[in-house]
Amino acid sequence: MTDSAKTGMTTESGTPKMTARNVDVFYGDKQAINNVSIDVNMDSVTAFIGPSGCGKSTFLRCMNRMNDTIPIARVTGEIKLEGEDIYSSKMDVVQLRARVGMVFQKPNPFPKSIYDNIAYGPRIHGLATGKEDLDEIVESSLQRAGLWGEVKDRLQDSGTALSGGQQQRLCIARAIAVDPEVILMDEPCSALDPIATAKIEELIHELRGKYAIVIVTHNMQQAARVSQKTAFFHLGTLVEYGETTDIFTNPREEKTRDYITGRYG
Amino acid sequence: MNSLTETKRRPTDWQGAEMQKRIAGRYAAERRFKAMGITAIVLSAGFLAFLLIVMVGNGFRGFTQTELPVEIDFPAVTSGASPSQFEGPNAEANLQVMGLREIVESSIEIQYGREGSDLFSPGAWTSVSAKILASPDIVRQKATVYLPVNSEIDVAYKDAGNPEAEQKVQALRDKFSTGFNWNFLSNSDATDPMQVGIWGAFKGSLITMIVTLLLAFPVGVLAALYLEEYAPKNRLTDLIEVSINNLAAVPSIIFGLLGLAVFLNFFGMPRSGALVGGLTLALMTMPVIVISGRNAVKSVPPSIREAALGIGASPLQVVFHHVLPLALPGILTGTIIGMARALGETAPLLMIGMRAFIATPPSGITDPATVLPVQIFLWSDEVDRGFVEKTSAAIIVLLLFLLIMNALAIYLRNRFETRW
Repeated sequence: MTDSAKTGMTTESGTPKMTARNVDVFYGDKQAINNVSIDVNMDSVTAFIGPSGCGKSTFLRCMNRMNDTIPIARVTGEIKLEGEDIYSSKMDVVQLRARVGMVFQKPNPFPKSIYDNIAYGPRIHGLATGKEDLDEIVESSLQRAGLWGEVKDRLQDSGTALSGGQQQRLCIARAIAVDPEVILMDEPCSALDPIATAKIEELIHELRGKYAIVIVTHNMQQAARVSQKTAFFHLGTLVEYGETTDIFTNPREEKTRDYITGRYG
Repeated sequence: MNSLTETKRRPTDWQGAEMQKRIAGRYAAERRFKAMGITAIVLSAGFLAFLLIVMVGNGFRGFTQTELPVEIDFPAVTSGASPSQFEGPNAEANLQVMGLREIVESSIEIQYGREGSDLFSPGAWTSVSAKILASPDIVRQKATVYLPVNSEIDVAYKDAGNPEAEQKVQALRDKFSTGFNWNFLSNSDATDPMQVGIWGAFKGSLITMIVTLLLAFPVGVLAALYLEEYAPKNRLTDLIEVSINNLAAVPSIIFGLLGLAVFLNFFGMPRSGALVGGLTLALMTMPVIVISGRNAVKSVPPSIREAALGIGASPLQVVFHHVLPLALPGILTGTIIGMARALGETAPLLMIGMRAFIATPPSGITDPATVLPVQIFLWSDEVDRGFVEKTSAAIIVLLLFLLIMNALAIYLRNRFETRW
């Protein structure tokens, strides 16, 4: 077993979009993440898998500093976005979250119209020069999220009136609208039915390459279907990181093998 | 072995007598509870209806006044004054010069005898003056004007007065008429119950409420937002929270003492003014708004905050674009409750001198003023029986004020209500 495989550092060519080195996260006295190092690439979807409470969501939320909202959370180590340390005092957290978008477990559209849901991000960041420009951003974002055809005639309807799957795609479109570099997805399908889940997975396929995507999932089949790289977390540590096919067919660690064969989790 | 058979569980007999009794008991308990609930509702509705009927019944008479006709031969008594004298800025002065008061009194004496002026309200001539000012052409002709009687006669006519007044009423029974008391809506406090009006107190209440709202609402909402969204959770914020909860429970008269000590004695603000009244009531209303505001802010789902933060909204944008609009209906509910309480408050205002006799309506926040509940309190203390129905009428005005204020606030709340 090579050291790079265990720590998750990439060895192949191309600079990674985001790099994490020796990241520890503490909630008060409790350590939730222990010495995790990982690289996220632009051209692949990275899946974080692991049993409940293993720290995969915690780690994901460190990548756009959403953990800042929890007063007792403390992050040490180094996470870089294109070489910039995101925890340095020079990094503007508001801009960081625009560059590293997030989709949450439960669809959470704003209780506003579909149009305003998408337009909110571009508005607060001043990304549109005028009304037409904004209209265009809304249309292209909805189109990329595969929702345009379903909602183009009712853009002024409330976003909360959509079905669960549509709401989640609306949230993805909302994240896309601010033109992020990385999209973090925290169990985006766990509140959805199989058909809606299939649509989201299809969407992830289409978005791959345009954005670096990191997805946390409980569902190992989903990880196998959508991702090219998989990281297996257990009790706050990164057990194994590698090509998805390798992880699922030929895991190096016994713990990984036990988990993916369903012995625990 | 006996004990073993006893402990062995028998199959449940769902049809047995004991079970039927238990079911019957359960139904009886439900019926009793329902009956008690209905009784409670009927009782409270009954009390409310009784209160309203009594108040409207009594208060309605406060809006009317008893009048007697007086014929005034204007061309004769004014020795041919022309209507143009009673137009323009000098109109009132000219009426004074002409001696309108004496003219009216002599006309009364001609028709009702020497003691006739005892029948009428001392201010009766002012309604003639108002009529002339409204339409000066009246002085060209002999006119019959209806003038308000004095309060003893008024009480005797409407209800049971003292024997002397009753006798007079009996003698003139056919001549009386009842008119709507417009003066009640446009005058302020006076010593004669026939001349009092609610306008001064109404205006005082309005100005005081505006001062209270302008102060308590923004300060209360900002405090609630800061405490919920920004303040670190530590001992100090806990202390602040406990203090605010206690403040909301402090008896209102204490706030009056505070207003007296701080605003009047320390800052030297004008006594009896709507400014001090509004400030004092704002102190009292603010904790209510802070508490309800915090609850409303707390009930905004965290997922909305995360969603906004997740696309790069700053904490300030999260609060003002998302949290505040969603919390506004709840905040407004608290504001309605707080303002309604402030509107009905008497005690603290007594302490800061808003119980003065105010005969001219306030025209600014520093003018001496009184408010509706204090006016009601003052009138209810009067000896003259004529004030009884004025008190009831003032209560109706206060309730209507409250009703309109609440209706407006509920309308606003429903407009802002968003579902998610």
